[in-house]
Amino acid sequence: MKAFFIYLSIFIFCSSISGDNLKERYYFDDPVDQQRFVNLLEDLRCPKCQSSNLSGSNAPIAQDLKLEVYNLIIEGKSDKEILEFLTSRYGNYILYKPPLEVNTLILWMGPFVLLLLVLSILFYLRSSSRTRFKNSKDLR
Amino acid sequence: MKKLLNLLPLAFFAGLVVTLFFLLGKDNAELKSVMIEKNFPSFSLSTLENPNVYIDQTSIKKLPALINIWATWCIACRVEHPFLMELKDKSIISIYGLNYKERDNGDKARKLLSRIGNPYEFSFFDPKGKLAIDLGVYGAPETFFIDKNGLIKIRHVGPLTADIWEEKFNVLLKK
Repeated sequence: MKAFFIYLSIFIFCSSISGDNLKERYYFDDPVDQQRFVNLLEDLRCPKCQSSNLSGSNAPIAQDLKLEVYNLIIEGKSDKEILEFLTSRYGNYILYKPPLEVNTLILWMGPFVLLLLVLSILFYLRSSSRTRFKNSKDLR
Repeated sequence: MKKLLNLLPLAFFAGLVVTLFFLLGKDNAELKSVMIEKNFPSFSLSTLENPNVYIDQTSIKKLPALINIWATWCIACRVEHPFLMELKDKSIISIYGLNYKERDNGDKARKLLSRIGNPYEFSFFDPKGKLAIDLGVYGAPETFFIDKNGLIKIRHVGPLTADIWEEKFNVLLKK
């Protein structure tokens, strides 16, 4: 139990120091823009450190891209324009939510297809065992 | 039918093994560039050699050419440096440097080149990484191949070696 609390406090400490404090570094007059900034950085992937988003990365390129997003918001660009700016340079890879295209079809549809498959198998097994149960009853 | 269904988990597992076997070994570090077959982006920067001289995309005159992203803080750039010198000394292709995110006014980079040799026609000085973002660069070293019409044909991530040169670049040079 004691060990658990030590681990927990280490975890909380680490998560509080990871990433940088966005609110201090990037100042917005409008809280709406501030929120857009935070949301965008959550959904954008760092091209260098590929398993983290921009807000969670301190790689040099991530810092540059954060500044770029900040400047684009200050310039009054919409979220859509900002995403277009970035994908025209870094490709769809930079989006954590890739658009629905032929090569991402399996990503979007895969889980549903799998669920449907499992459900239909379950249904089949249940109905076939029920008929067998019925048949055995008839025999008696 | 029932027997076939019993085999399903096994088939699923086998499929999983095969997919993972082929996908897990794949190197994802090199992202496909969206800049391929596009013109070099427009820019305006000073040269590393002379902070008063401003250049733009039309200053890349000797085509085909390599654009090599480098920095003094980049260790892998030192690994490829001898090979870049070889390309220059044998006049195989002209190389332009993109000096990327130096933290000083360029003194360190100038000193380094005068000490170990300068393989570049000149270097664009890009301390803020502006042109680098327009190129979709995410680290150093990276090397772009620009063909004789000014189109980007290759983006290579990581140090350039003789093997990679033979495999990827030399073919295009002969065209």
